[in-house]
Amino acid sequence: MISMQPYQNPTYFLYLTVALLPIMIGLLRGKRYRLYETVISLAFLVLTFGGNVWIQGVSLIGYIIYEVALIFGYFHYRQKKNASWVFYLLVFLAIVPLAIVKLEPVFQLGKISLFSFLGISYLTFKAVQMIMEIRDGAIKEVNLMLTLQFLLFFPTISSGPIDRYRRFIKDYTQVPDQDKYLTMLGKAVHYIFLGFLYKFALAYFFGTVMLPKIQMIALAHHGLSWWVVAYMYCYSMDLFFDFAGYSLFAVGTSYIMGIETPVNFNKPFISKNIKEFWNRWHMTLSLWFRDYIYMRLVFLMMKKRWVKSRVAMANIGYITLFLIMGIWHGLTWYYIVYGIFHACAIIINDMWLRFKKKHRQAIPHNKFTEMFAIFLTFNLVCFSFLIFSGFFDKLYFMH
Amino acid sequence: MKDTVLDILADLTGSDEVKTNLDTELFNSGLLDSMATVQLLLELQTQLGVDVPVSEFERSEWDTPNKIIAKVEELG
Amino acid sequence: MKIRRALFKIFGPVILAALLVVAVLIIPFASSGFNHRTIERAAVSQSKNVFKGVAVKQQALTENYVPFMGSSELSRMDSFHPSVLAQHYHRDYRPFLLGAAGSQSLAHYWGMQGVNHELQNKKAVMIVSPQWFVKQGQNPIAFMQYHSNLQTVTWLLQATNNRDDRYAAQRLLDMQVDKADSQLDLMVKKIADGKQLSKADRTYLQLEKNSLANQDRWFSTLSMKNRTDRINKAAGQLPSSPYNVKRLDAIAYEMGDKATTGNQFRVSNKFWNKRLKGNYRKLKGEQKNFNYVQSPEFADFQLVLNQFHKDNMDVMFVIPPVNKRWSQYTGLSMAMLRQFDRKINYQLRSQGFTNIVDLSNDGGEDFFMQDTIHLGWRGWLKVDQHVAPFLEGKYQQPHYQMNDYFYSKQWQDMANSQLNHYLAKN
Repeated sequence: MISMQPYQNPTYFLYLTVALLPIMIGLLRGKRYRLYETVISLAFLVLTFGGNVWIQGVSLIGYIIYEVALIFGYFHYRQKKNASWVFYLLVFLAIVPLAIVKLEPVFQLGKISLFSFLGISYLTFKAVQMIMEIRDGAIKEVNLMLTLQFLLFFPTISSGPIDRYRRFIKDYTQVPDQDKYLTMLGKAVHYIFLGFLYKFALAYFFGTVMLPKIQMIALAHHGLSWWVVAYMYCYSMDLFFDFAGYSLFAVGTSYIMGIETPVNFNKPFISKNIKEFWNRWHMTLSLWFRDYIYMRLVFLMMKKRWVKSRVAMANIGYITLFLIMGIWHGLTWYYIVYGIFHACAIIINDMWLRFKKKHRQAIPHNKFTEMFAIFLTFNLVCFSFLIFSGFFDKLYFMH
Repeated sequence: MKDTVLDILADLTGSDEVKTNLDTELFNSGLLDSMATVQLLLELQTQLGVDVPVSEFERSEWDTPNKIIAKVEELG
Repeated sequence: MKIRRALFKIFGPVILAALLVVAVLIIPFASSGFNHRTIERAAVSQSKNVFKGVAVKQQALTENYVPFMGSSELSRMDSFHPSVLAQHYHRDYRPFLLGAAGSQSLAHYWGMQGVNHELQNKKAVMIVSPQWFVKQGQNPIAFMQYHSNLQTVTWLLQATNNRDDRYAAQRLLDMQVDKADSQLDLMVKKIADGKQLSKADRTYLQLEKNSLANQDRWFSTLSMKNRTDRINKAAGQLPSSPYNVKRLDAIAYEMGDKATTGNQFRVSNKFWNKRLKGNYRKLKGEQKNFNYVQSPEFADFQLVLNQFHKDNMDVMFVIPPVNKRWSQYTGLSMAMLRQFDRKINYQLRSQGFTNIVDLSNDGGEDFFMQDTIHLGWRGWLKVDQHVAPFLEGKYQQPHYQMNDYFYSKQWQDMANSQLNHYLAKN
């Protein structure tokens, strides 16, 4: 048997339709068939992580046992005590498997990492999030079954969107009322078909039809040429439509299961500045970074008065956030440069916003300036994706 | 208590609008950003003794002065 | 009732769409055929979708089209291009151009899958570029542009456990850049490993084939480049019948002379301005170490030869030269080119492929090449001296004696004294 990556081909959607039908009928009649849902989830996990990639499946099981042990261990500890160092240690331990996977290609630790499987990053986000909220006392009880359902929720397991434990549990333990569920179904169909357009028409066009041609010509020019610019736009479009399409499938599928997984993209290319862009692009990831890294770091800096200036504090926060995000993508120079690029962009953006606030009368604001802002942001973002694509690496370092 | 919250907000947003219109959307209008949010949480802690962990801060529940006052009353 | 209506509103269009998709893809439609103009356009379009497909080629081959298999030189459509000459002088054959930049032996082998039946006992012309025979052989990214699942599916349905099929399967797997791990790849892997396909595999393939064949029939002729104007324009510059070689050669000389005024290498000004002007200085002496003698391409080429043999085809091979002015500037080794020439000639002749137009010594002729490595004006005219009689003459029953040694790593890498020794011995 061969494994199937989620949402990649018609067969997968066929299986999905058949599997979701009973769940849908149940929810329409106000019932959630938990056992059936669990069986289906397991079946789809086997479909993705079994067969010829069964080693990934074993890694996944090992990883889940490890993370769940950490979460439950910490929860029991937290009921009695609350030492900072225990908390930091637990966060560190939760990240270790992901760190090994990310460091492996750099240090060539071995042929396959022990924990390497599709979607490990997204699971780590979920686990770390739980540990942090346990510390805050926001998660007041943990239930083994619910935790597993949350971590292993199959529609989003391979690439998000990243849900929140408390939000997920609220949906999972309830059944939406009929009107609401019908609205959700309508949205689900819309999302999934929009996803078809994005992933199988537009991403196919940009990524499969155009990109290889452009790449070949651009590389043949040995250095900068207009083809590199063409590559930049084409790659950006591919990246967006591919990922947004995938996310739409994941959200649509969740909706049919009565779970309102948060959306991941909200027309990112009409952003007027970089800050807005990050509130529209891969939103569940950037919000995760905002809530669990940036805000916490700033909170700490403020509380302990490590840094006096608000501006400096914000900037340290940005640099930390985007550096971590860059490294998370992989330990290569271009991911890290990508992170630094965005940190700088957002710092400059903040400077501009402060300047604008002070000189509100002197700076014109009209349709034209708005269009210009959108144009500038779009191109800045596309350039950052060009860095991200690793194209410069191929262009300058691989010959 | 209400006045303290409004003073903090006015201070953070640099605008008295929050005092006149208690339903101003703080995040959508750009009056409050992540940075100011963190300051708000800290000020609430130091001035009113209300302890709000970052996790509990769900934006949709804190996005107008009125909602913030209600939240603080609930937690205080 | 209310729910039912709401559900119908949501899922009605979905069900309708699903039914339409099933209808379009699964039901095998009887081929209604393409009209004559479409085939004519397809023959000179060098479209990748046509190359990857089956339907258009099938129909063309039952008409008077002859496959011209090659690569980038086929797009050098001046007045002496085979398609132009055939049209202008009302030959009873028409070239069907197969290939463009990046298509090499392996792409052509896969391109033949699906039309082998129509190729039986036919003639073909294959232009074999020395530049294919580099150390890495066929570039995978380029290959994938010419490869389709329809080819794989059709091929899998007839594949058996023999040397050719195992080799073809292995090479296809080599070309999968981002390990797709699809159902098809696993079947290809089975063939590469000398295993048999299961019954379930075959059912799957049959269904897949219907769907892909329908898609091919419906979509492959969309978005073809329209080159008929270009061909007509090029033909318009030729004198009308009768065909007089001396006169045509003079015209070719004149056209070449006019089009190559701007540079010392006498390559077409268009090519010069676009591709060389900016960076030709960097290329001086750059090709000293180019090597077309050791390459996996020799084995890929053997795969194509075997297919010619199986299809009992009468094939003419054209080996184009390199522009001498250019090769002297870049330092490309003439000795190496001669070695390549001897090697490829041996591989062809020793197996009975004797119809070879070897132009490798003509690189110094004026206006023989349109640019650095692509045939042009006088070169095309010279090709025509061989191609026209061959295609207008009768089909000759070929007698090939295939030799699997040409698949071996040893042959792929044989060079220099070892090659000399081997060629002398045989």
